[in-house]
Amino acid sequence: MNREIKISIGLLLIGLLVITVYWFIPQDAPVSKTLKSKVSVGELIILPQYEKSIYQNIPEVKSYLYDIKKMIRNGQAVLPLQNNELDSSTRSVQNILLKDTDFLKDTKHEGKFLHNDMMRIVPAIVSSLNDKDQSICQIHRCYQAEKYNFVTNTTTRAIVNADEGKILSIERYSNMQPDISLRLTHIAQAIALSAPEVKKELGFTPAKKDITMANVRGTMKESPCENTDHLCVAPTFTDHQKEQALWAVVDLTELKLAAAKWAGLGKTTTPACISERSLQNRYIMKNFCQKNSVLEKNGWKITYRLTGSDGLEIRDVSFEGKPVLTSAKIVDWHVSYQQKDGENLDTSTETYIEGRRVEFVRGEGDTYLFGYNDAMGCPLFSTSVVLAFNGPQVRALKNGNGFMLTQDFRNPKWPMACNYRYENRFEFYDDGSFRVVGVNKGRGCGDNAIYRPVMRIDMALDKKENFYSYDGAWKIWEKENADRLSPTPVNDLYPYKIISADDPQKGYYIEPNYGQFEDNSRGDNATLFVTKFKENEGDKDLLTLGSCCNLKEDGVERYIEGKESIKDTNIVLWYVPRIRNDARQGHEYCWADTMIGEDGNLHVTVWPCTVGPKFVPIGKR
Amino acid sequence: MRKYFPIIISFILIIIAGYVVISKKHEKSSSDMQKEQVAYIGTFGVQRKCARFPQFIKRLKIPQPVMIDLSQKRYTGISLYYGQKLEKTLHLKQWEQYEHFSTYTLDEQGNIYLVPMPFISIHPTTFNLQKNIYKLDTQTGKISIFMHFDDVKPTASNPYGINAIVYDCQDKTLWVAAIDESDYQSQKGIIYHINLKTKEILQRIEGVDVLSMALIKSSKGKFLLVGSARDSGLYAYAIEHNRIQKGAVKLLELSNSNEHIRKIKITSNNKLELQSIPFSYTLITQTAKKDRMYYQVIWDKTKKKWKIK
Repeated sequence: MNREIKISIGLLLIGLLVITVYWFIPQDAPVSKTLKSKVSVGELIILPQYEKSIYQNIPEVKSYLYDIKKMIRNGQAVLPLQNNELDSSTRSVQNILLKDTDFLKDTKHEGKFLHNDMMRIVPAIVSSLNDKDQSICQIHRCYQAEKYNFVTNTTTRAIVNADEGKILSIERYSNMQPDISLRLTHIAQAIALSAPEVKKELGFTPAKKDITMANVRGTMKESPCENTDHLCVAPTFTDHQKEQALWAVVDLTELKLAAAKWAGLGKTTTPACISERSLQNRYIMKNFCQKNSVLEKNGWKITYRLTGSDGLEIRDVSFEGKPVLTSAKIVDWHVSYQQKDGENLDTSTETYIEGRRVEFVRGEGDTYLFGYNDAMGCPLFSTSVVLAFNGPQVRALKNGNGFMLTQDFRNPKWPMACNYRYENRFEFYDDGSFRVVGVNKGRGCGDNAIYRPVMRIDMALDKKENFYSYDGAWKIWEKENADRLSPTPVNDLYPYKIISADDPQKGYYIEPNYGQFEDNSRGDNATLFVTKFKENEGDKDLLTLGSCCNLKEDGVERYIEGKESIKDTNIVLWYVPRIRNDARQGHEYCWADTMIGEDGNLHVTVWPCTVGPKFVPIGKR
Repeated sequence: MRKYFPIIISFILIIIAGYVVISKKHEKSSSDMQKEQVAYIGTFGVQRKCARFPQFIKRLKIPQPVMIDLSQKRYTGISLYYGQKLEKTLHLKQWEQYEHFSTYTLDEQGNIYLVPMPFISIHPTTFNLQKNIYKLDTQTGKISIFMHFDDVKPTASNPYGINAIVYDCQDKTLWVAAIDESDYQSQKGIIYHINLKTKEILQRIEGVDVLSMALIKSSKGKFLLVGSARDSGLYAYAIEHNRIQKGAVKLLELSNSNEHIRKIKITSNNKLELQSIPFSYTLITQTAKKDRMYYQVIWDKTKKKWKIK
């Protein structure tokens, strides 16, 4: 045995020894790394701040919408796959399917075409077929094709024998979304890339190369958008250095950014955890329910928060350093419906409509009223039924003379029947005026509804305040009382004023809404209550306030029963507008309707009704 | 040069063997990690139940099938549907006294134990009613407060109190959950283990928000399965010597993070039916079947993982 052979044997033995030792050394590094990334990275949620119209001029979106409208005009409902996703076989499969009445069965509703996209055509996986199709597909070329119906949120899957040009099976999966086409992948990427919120978060204008996993969803899973009713994907921007990724949830049904989230790269933060609703809820809770926010703009300083059941509340409001409001909010929406045939009314058992307990009250003559009280508030840990969507938004007023702070509240199933959408809005004008506004966006249970938002306004003029009404001369209100406003101005545009007892120039005129605010309103027809401030009368969250349906009372009457003196004291205004909805075509008011548009998609049209008084500084008349 | 061939061949052999070993080890460690991620509670079948139907139903000569309804759709409280198409109803006015119930459990005598829920609106009595377990007596058919919890304190920012219950036939105890102390930041729910006879609290498990409960006996022992009120997960507590000895393991998570498991049913071998709702610690409003999601969950023995349909 020569020297080299001895060395080679020695090398072999040492090598084997090292390999054996390595095999038995426990390998725990990857586990600890995963755990580390799980705990070290926080979560930051970003909700969209812009209307979806900003995405419609993106070239990819524009050409897609053009093709859909053209297709619907031409009497077709399925947007085919483009040539770059097809070869000769898949092209012929697509042609077969687009002529097949069974495959196209769900593409029309009441004579209108519904928007469908062909999503993909791929060779069928034999193992996933039934026995009959398996035997055919073992000897023939078979393809699996999927289309998605955007209106019904349904995926149709067909198996086609391409050799014989025969469709073997067609199955539909409702509330399921397929993997998306290359065209939609590019659209999702384009939306994510052009979203201002994404650019802001990343701190630079991203390019396509920065995106990973545009088509992150597995096949036939539930969508994270709009309570799983929409088709969504989550293009991702990864920052490997910080071990974080920005998930941009893109809603391909609405063609917009639905939400975004910074999250770690650990296993707990897969897209399955990202749902538009849960992101919204967490964002709202963290930023607006758990703490107060402060807005300083145009001389105004406003503290605001979302409450458990009293909607959006503004507190400690000042203008140019002078206190204006202690608190303003809408504590309740009374909703009642008027019906005839009250004599046959059976109230022996309770009734519920869409999950609400219905209250019945006998009206005049043969009529009766039924309805319920809607509390608005935080989406988690609250006693609300109409929940905050998105966060409070700040927007410019139409005439450019101020801004508004507004919050959207919705039943998740709006605009379906017996579901509601309300907006709490506070308008702040550059001259120191402000307006407390309630907006009702329907749709409710019928065309005979009476809505009554209960507004509570606690001014901060002074510790001692006085309230006056005008009937040709100003008269002070000595005791707690109520007044029903006339539908049109009688003596003056400003029938009431509230002023400091010490300084008559410090105060506000109250200008009820008679329809003069250019918002298509039909007026407030309100009742005004003035009460002495008591902490337990609405300064904190009010759980319930009176009957929904007794039109003779608004609920605040209980606070004026004592007829306490309100002269030279801290007083609270309660303002309860009364709105009747209208569903007649061409006259819609407090109403919403869903229609299939010229692009074959569902579109919601809203006819809002807007109510609420304006407060004008005494010196600005 | 030729004399160095044996050394070169040895080098090549070591490199090949090293590569094979490293890749095999990596493969093994990844599969070990995957195995660790899936909590395994053993195989299980349909559980033998001791529950009996209330005796007063027999006395009223109401034939089977009888269904207990807590949907609150037609009646407040509890109502019983019977008849071949469940077209007939039994509902007593007294059953409305404690307002709305979320779930129930039956013992071997036929007593029904009920837990409350805040439903749609808040009344002056609502919060107090969430502090009790209720009993519908098998003989008299009357509902009364079975047990009151002074330390359960629902509020406007979390109107829930006692909210889940299951009867343990084996040791004649109740497992009950309350979530009143939880808030947005922290999970402070409690599971109580209660001696049915003495009403003594045998054990308290703190820091867990439970929406649903079920007991299961599997090849690995006895487990309390719980659906979380906090997330969309299903968890299991091992029960040894009639006590929970350690923390829960997560079995699975539903694909929709808004959905929370509110009912757990063992339907056949290694198969569960999970019913879920979008729970957010706000008032319960939707109780119709269409407002629920149903998931069939199967333990795949060969792949060693849960399959959710």
